[in-house]
Amino acid sequence: MSEISTQNDSARLNRARLRYRQFRGQWYSTPLLLTAIFGTLLVLPLTLNLYAFGFSLGTWVSVHMLIITLVWATTGQAWNMMSGYTGQFSFGHAAFFGLGAYGTILLLSTSGVNPWLGMFIGATIAGLYGLVIGVLCFRYDLRGHYFALATLAFAELLRYTFNTFPQLGGASGFFKPLPRQYADEFGLAAFQFDSVLPYYYVILVFLIIVTGVSLVIKQSRLGLYMFAIRENEDAASAVGIPTYRYKLVGITVSAFFTAWAGAFWAMYFDTIRPETVYDILINVEILLPAIVGGIGTVIGPIVGAFIVIPLSEIVRQFINLPGLDRIVYGLLLIGIVLYSPQGIVSWPGRFFEILEQRGLYENTIDNDDSRPDE
Amino acid sequence: MFATFAIGQTVPVELFGFSSETAAVPLFIDLSIGLQLLAFAILLGGIYGLVALGLTMIFGVMDVINFAHGALMVVGMYAVWWMTNGLGLNPFLTIPIAVALLFVFGVLIHLTTIAPIIDASQENQLIVTFGVLLIIVSTIEIAFSADPQSLDIDLGSVGIAGIYLPEGQLYALVFAILAVIVSWAFLQYTQLGRAIRGTADNRDAAQYVGINVPRIDYLTFGLGAALAGLAGAVIPLFQQINPHLGDAYLINAFVIVVLGGLGSFPGALLGGMIIGFVHVFGQFYLPGSGYQIAIFCIFILVLLLKPSGLLGGDSNE
Repeated sequence: MSEISTQNDSARLNRARLRYRQFRGQWYSTPLLLTAIFGTLLVLPLTLNLYAFGFSLGTWVSVHMLIITLVWATTGQAWNMMSGYTGQFSFGHAAFFGLGAYGTILLLSTSGVNPWLGMFIGATIAGLYGLVIGVLCFRYDLRGHYFALATLAFAELLRYTFNTFPQLGGASGFFKPLPRQYADEFGLAAFQFDSVLPYYYVILVFLIIVTGVSLVIKQSRLGLYMFAIRENEDAASAVGIPTYRYKLVGITVSAFFTAWAGAFWAMYFDTIRPETVYDILINVEILLPAIVGGIGTVIGPIVGAFIVIPLSEIVRQFINLPGLDRIVYGLLLIGIVLYSPQGIVSWPGRFFEILEQRGLYENTIDNDDSRPDE
Repeated sequence: MFATFAIGQTVPVELFGFSSETAAVPLFIDLSIGLQLLAFAILLGGIYGLVALGLTMIFGVMDVINFAHGALMVVGMYAVWWMTNGLGLNPFLTIPIAVALLFVFGVLIHLTTIAPIIDASQENQLIVTFGVLLIIVSTIEIAFSADPQSLDIDLGSVGIAGIYLPEGQLYALVFAILAVIVSWAFLQYTQLGRAIRGTADNRDAAQYVGINVPRIDYLTFGLGAALAGLAGAVIPLFQQINPHLGDAYLINAFVIVVLGGLGSFPGALLGGMIIGFVHVFGQFYLPGSGYQIAIFCIFILVLLLKPSGLLGGDSNE
């Protein structure tokens, strides 16, 4: 004990750095962190109205804001499973989001299909649409710019298609029917509630499921293949990894889960229009959490969503200038890419690096924090 | 804006904007309407060509897809609108000012956001330019509101050989055609134009033969922005403007750039004309946003059948 107290700050920081790295190197570190995050999220809405030191979280944060945050965390997580893991940058995930939303609400309004069933039908359609996009694009080996543009075109194609045909709701879209038109009453079976809190827990469960799938994929052989494709597709292909097949798996799974968030969106808000679910901005909102948090990491999309969405919502609520929230998005996008392209989850590792560069302490352990977290 | 003809007929669909008219249009139309549509298709094709030329120049030289391109058009539109309505200048005088302004603006954007990450991955550059798009469009929306605006001046219409054209459209058409010719001559015959084409052709080789590639980069971005600004600047002459008008042009400019061949300059102009025709005639014959669906189908077909585009090389990367 006396040894430690005589050590200077440098040694203490070196220890902390080593300990952090050792912890992040363990297989259980991400599941442990996720458990802590989800545990916090479980009780978070209940603490909003608690006053402590004359301060209440509820003055800044509402359950509605948390719900929106979780929706984009879910989509960010789903986007990440494809674009973060395999490196195939999709700029058209609004297609899948919209198909989930429209699949649910269209079947509900026209045929009275239960929204839960509608959600799975919509998600399956989205998965198939993703598969078709994947088959068309990957067969011809579209990469980089071409792939991003092609996915955007497939999303915009849906926007204009839904806009044009009145059978698909046309430009005015659909109103959400009342529960008594297809079920007994408000409740889980109707996917509609008379207060916001149950919605929060539904989307939290969605996020936990998607995160679980994402984690399982990442820690499996499939995840290794996907990351190999991201790092060097030609090399991966040369050592016998069927890159085409795994890219298809990536886009299909990603599309399927993105549609879940879309279905939730359709049941949470009153109306769905092509402009609200297929807009270009939706593509950005889907990928923003993953980029801000850290592409290819499991924790990144959740952390990113909790930075991006509350920030823009608070800006929107407290400064009454329409469009200011989008300026915040823009600044975040540019700032993250220019100054911290590995995202916020890389900050604990970078913290020591920056201290070192500033000459604030001397590094006596080897220097290997450059590896992105997880 | 374009709904009434001097000859007293009304076009069943609104050119531009999103009409929801679904009435079937006969296949064979009055010759004068046909010629009117033709003139409008050439105008729109020229504008599309200019936007796409700037986009493809930036792509060819720097391998950057500039999502902010549509926003730069919007800056051009609002510069002309503001100088004409706010300062009372002649709109035709404001167009060159807007173009010069956009050149400087483009160089600044390049130096602050693109140049630092010119060697980073393509995705990162795409994200940064999208961030620029959000900032520009939202700033304009805050400054001038999202309401549609139009020039206070009232241009009449002119009749040439039985075709009646709104005068604003005619001038816009002249501007667009002139700009296409000038840009073409610039790229083909000047020293700087050759340097730009050389850099687009092979960045490393251009460096070896003594071309200052970083300088070419910011000049290209400035010129690309100026072309976008010019395309935007002529739009208030014949159409109402709003801060989000750039989006539709941007998406179609992407289609054109891929159709003509990413990085191919003549391809951008040819593709612009093709999409201009599909847009105008598709809007006339097809219900709702059918023309836009047709444009996307063309895009997807090109991506699948010949990703290098009509006039592109083998740059599928």
